[in-house]
Amino acid sequence: MAATSTWLKHVPSLLEQAETQSAIADRIMFHFPLWTNQLAKLTLGIVPAVFGYAGWILMTATAPETTHLGYAPEQPVPFSHKLHAGMLKMDCRYCHNTVEVTAHAAIPPTQTCINCHSPSDGNGAVALTAIHSKSPKLAEVHNSWANDTPVLWKRVHDLPDFVNFNHSAHVSRGVSCVSCHGRVDQMEVVSQVKTLSMASCLECHRNPAPHLRPVDSVTDMEWVPPKSSSEIGELVRDHWNIKANQNCSTCHY
Amino acid sequence: MPLLDEQQNTKQYWRSLDQLADKPAFQDWMSREFPAAASELPTNVSRRRWLQLMGAALSLGGIAGCRWEAEEFAPFTIRPQNRAPGEKQFFATSWELSGVARPLTATSIDGRPIKIEGNTQHPATSGGTSAFDQAMILSLYDPDRRTRATEQVRNDTVERSWEDFDKTFSRRIKTHAGQDGRGLAILCESSSSETRSWLRDRIAERFGDAIWCEVDGATDAGVEQAFGQRLRTHFDFNEARIIACFDSDPLGAHPDSMRLIRDWADRREPNGDWMNRLYSFESHLSLTGSNADHRCPVKSGDIADIVARLETLVTAKLNGESIDRGKGKVDQVLAALADDLANHKGQSLLTAGPQQSAEVHARIHRLNETLGNHSKTIVFTEIPKTDAADLAELIDAMDNKRVETLLILDVNAAYGLAESTPFREAMTRVPFAVHAGLYNDETAALCRWHVPMAHPLESWSDGRSFDGTISLSQPLISPLFAGRTQSELLSSFVNARKTDAAELVRSALTKQRPEFKNEKSWRRLIHDGFIPNSARQPITAKLVSELDKQLPLGRLPRSAGDEQLEVVISSGSSTYDGRFANNAWLQETPDAISKLTWDNAAAMSPATAKQLGVTHGDVIQLAANNGHVDLPVFELPGVALNSIQLAQGYGRTAAGHVGGLVSEGIEPIGVDVSALQSDEGLLVTGVTVTKTGRRHQLATTQDHFAIDTVGLEAIGARVGELIRTGTLSEYEQHPDFASHRGPHHPPLESLWEEPTYEGHAWGMSIDLNRCIGCTACSVACQSENNVPIVGKEQVLAGREMHWLRMDRYFAGDQEDPEVAHQPVACHHCETAPCEQVCPVAATVHSDEGLNDMVYNRCIGTRYCANNCPYKVRRFNFLDYNAPLEEPKNELVQLVLNPEVTVRSRGVMEKCTYCVQRIQSTKIDAKNNRRSIDDGEIQTACQQACPAQAIVFGDLNDPNSAVAKAHADDRAYGMLAELNTKPRTKYLAKIRNPHPWLANRDSGHSATEVH
Repeated sequence: MAATSTWLKHVPSLLEQAETQSAIADRIMFHFPLWTNQLAKLTLGIVPAVFGYAGWILMTATAPETTHLGYAPEQPVPFSHKLHAGMLKMDCRYCHNTVEVTAHAAIPPTQTCINCHSPSDGNGAVALTAIHSKSPKLAEVHNSWANDTPVLWKRVHDLPDFVNFNHSAHVSRGVSCVSCHGRVDQMEVVSQVKTLSMASCLECHRNPAPHLRPVDSVTDMEWVPPKSSSEIGELVRDHWNIKANQNCSTCHY
Repeated sequence: MPLLDEQQNTKQYWRSLDQLADKPAFQDWMSREFPAAASELPTNVSRRRWLQLMGAALSLGGIAGCRWEAEEFAPFTIRPQNRAPGEKQFFATSWELSGVARPLTATSIDGRPIKIEGNTQHPATSGGTSAFDQAMILSLYDPDRRTRATEQVRNDTVERSWEDFDKTFSRRIKTHAGQDGRGLAILCESSSSETRSWLRDRIAERFGDAIWCEVDGATDAGVEQAFGQRLRTHFDFNEARIIACFDSDPLGAHPDSMRLIRDWADRREPNGDWMNRLYSFESHLSLTGSNADHRCPVKSGDIADIVARLETLVTAKLNGESIDRGKGKVDQVLAALADDLANHKGQSLLTAGPQQSAEVHARIHRLNETLGNHSKTIVFTEIPKTDAADLAELIDAMDNKRVETLLILDVNAAYGLAESTPFREAMTRVPFAVHAGLYNDETAALCRWHVPMAHPLESWSDGRSFDGTISLSQPLISPLFAGRTQSELLSSFVNARKTDAAELVRSALTKQRPEFKNEKSWRRLIHDGFIPNSARQPITAKLVSELDKQLPLGRLPRSAGDEQLEVVISSGSSTYDGRFANNAWLQETPDAISKLTWDNAAAMSPATAKQLGVTHGDVIQLAANNGHVDLPVFELPGVALNSIQLAQGYGRTAAGHVGGLVSEGIEPIGVDVSALQSDEGLLVTGVTVTKTGRRHQLATTQDHFAIDTVGLEAIGARVGELIRTGTLSEYEQHPDFASHRGPHHPPLESLWEEPTYEGHAWGMSIDLNRCIGCTACSVACQSENNVPIVGKEQVLAGREMHWLRMDRYFAGDQEDPEVAHQPVACHHCETAPCEQVCPVAATVHSDEGLNDMVYNRCIGTRYCANNCPYKVRRFNFLDYNAPLEEPKNELVQLVLNPEVTVRSRGVMEKCTYCVQRIQSTKIDAKNNRRSIDDGEIQTACQQACPAQAIVFGDLNDPNSAVAKAHADDRAYGMLAELNTKPRTKYLAKIRNPHPWLANRDSGHSATEVH
């Protein structure tokens, strides 16, 4: 207040000093210089550029390359899910055996491969049930086994570091592997088939029923709902009392 | 506007002296919207330039940033049993600090330890941890650790292998073995390890004449004088109704403090059978003193006289004479104490601290005996005999060239001890010295060889906890730098064949307990971490008969005049004796009382400073015992007049890149005070002070985040509402007194429709009656939640990042204040002010009542922090984690908790109630089709708290501990009048003063606003 009243007190004296009111107006009013008119013309060019840039950003951000859709890196071992999970009907959990109890569906240790594919020794002799003991495709696995070094598998499905996803929480409540990973049993080389964006998470969390099935069928790749999928999903949802949270801290912490 | 003058006779809490005096600096601080320099940007780049750069970086780098680095999996060849990638594993282990084993449970993910907890099964601690326990994990990943063996060849440091060392060293050992050990010396810290004592016996057999020197032996000369033998004194705070401490800090710097805190807190329950009463006479303001019901600031030099006076009073009282209630405060408190002691024979406990002479200790023991406390509240156990030489003897031998080969096992004798200077000189006369240690410290620099040692989390070892329980230490990770353990190094003396540490420990323990031959028993020990019922048995000790002759009753001449200055040296709350100087978590943790970070200072009372004509921040020179040190003045209420308190463990010149490394131009943190020390101990008399005219900036956190809801003038009045205290009698008359301590306000109505909670509703309660202010919770939170370290400059700018801060308030007289501690973290308000102002909904309420903070949404407007009345939101002004990406610091990344996002610049963060723990427990419970038990989810602060002051749980469960605590009479919400509806409630602090003094200390809260 003090500053304002001091200011007001000075205004009349200012007026007295001035010869005319317009002189004051001239002095205190701001006129845009003429060259600023050029800016208006420039704006005509800038606005489309901004929109264009925004559009480009949007397209790039949602492009399959960005969302990793279809990402199918070459793995050090040409492991075929189509053969193992599809034709041989091996259960997912034979290799990814931690999926029901931990956050990660662990990549199997070399030992899991060796259970069937133990290498032949120097004399060509093999263990009891070894399959393809001399296959060059298994060279990496056999090297790993012999030298106790890891097989460096490329990660296909990679969520950002600020997201926490827990496999066990989903698998133990009837969300099938297929829901996020697609028909891995038909893939010669595993690729990413869902964007794994927040939208795809929320789609299911907002309405989980269509994605639920009996827990003992989660790894059944060929499962078809006996009734409509949402009907059976609702049964599962009510049975396990599933409330798919949409809190931020459900995934982000 | 001095606040105190206005309300002279009323209790008034204030945060610091600046605030009390309302100095310009504080006004300046308060009047700013954001703490100073909050708008500063990285140096050397102007704000405009920086924005330009950022804009450009965004448009160019934006697209590239959408793709992340391809990751690879490296699975095991054979996955170990019970190991699942990314899952937590827990291991019972322990580590030794000054010869006392401290039980731990270490959490490990993917084979790397990430968090330390206490061992709840262990009889010695009941699961509490100290700040040191919590922070020791950071030193495992310290990039300053020595990575290789080196040899000093002339002026060059040459890297060597272990084979080189073994070859050279075994040759020397052979020579000494031929001479019966002559010329050989081993310098180590005292230890309670059975393995080491077994090795030592073997070494003594082969090297009879070798010198075995131990430092830091917890010798208690007072016990020897009183009982004629070496004994360890154990306190039972569970039984002691009256506790009197004379310069003693059992709740703080005591090796058994975890148990003592817990037992003490258990007996502070106002609804329990009885509540203990704590008296403290001390020169410096210790944790124990700050929690005492009656505290007298007296010089350490006067304690002897006070004890003698107490003896006289107690004797008189016991003889049925009436005693004078006294006039001055000390007399009054002494009389009340004598009255209490005489009325609680066998239920009281007296203790003296390390600054006091053997005579004072002996008097205390005699008084305890007179009061019948022995074998009731105090028991003794035997300390095994040791004939180890002390450091002075070793230095003498070195000076006389009787030491040709010296092996130093992680002892930094060249720093921080009274004997350090002679030790450094004597080292020049040792032709072959080997230093084994974690760091290339001051002592290593004097040695020809340096070999890396294993960290406790990399080692097989054993030790005895304070009560004597044998505790095992097991490695969680193989030595990162091929370090060896003490026992592995010592085993090279006894046999040529290779022995690894696990075998050594097992064979040493099997010598004592043959059952460990059995694999099952041994596995059991590894699982449990300790041997049940292995505590040492109490023995009865008799006072020596001539004690009364040696220490006659009656007053003592006071050691020095009132005017004479004394210096009291205590161990640093962040650095201990200097060994943790390179630990940035500890350095940044504010001291429990002074709230000082990254420094030590000459703490003195305002009156002392006035007498000396100095003020806060002035650098003074203290001189005594032919040594002098320059230190800044810290005006700290509650320090005794003419007493100056100094913290040990600072001024390290070769600690590392955090604590100081002069060779690389990194200034030491704080000042080494050992120059003042004499052989006499930690109490230094005859001190002179001179002004230097220099000033030093001290980075304290006490004025940060001052809560100014209605401006500076109201703060003082409001603090009494924030932290509510009462006396036991008040509580008994008005159990709900706490709810009346708040401001009166009309009924509160919400502008919003308030949510209801169907499932869980998480909540917390903090019992101020149990909390002692030790700050272990704060470090635990830092460790669990990847809270960054910011450094001294940022702390000065008010940018410390601790999610959980420990507020400390003073009340009353500056020279003799009442102290209260209050931990403050996010209250997860039901109607959170932060949520209402966030323009991007980056902080929102979950349907379990959590105030979620979404880092990936946050754009850094800081509106939320501005609107938070509790000032618990922390903003990443800079990219505090950037140093972790430098190649030399990559190792430190391993300490990060993979379950918690690492935040980047421009993002707000705050306490989440450890939501990662909530989520993982919820998932586990649901996977196993069970409900969550009350107490199953523990927040990191709660789990660390040795006093169990923090309770967390589901408020929707009426039987949960937290729901009961919220319904307690003492419960109150901080600033609840703002209608924030906080989810964290405090339980008011109850003091238990002696009835004679009740009026003196308890003035009915003046802070009540009518």
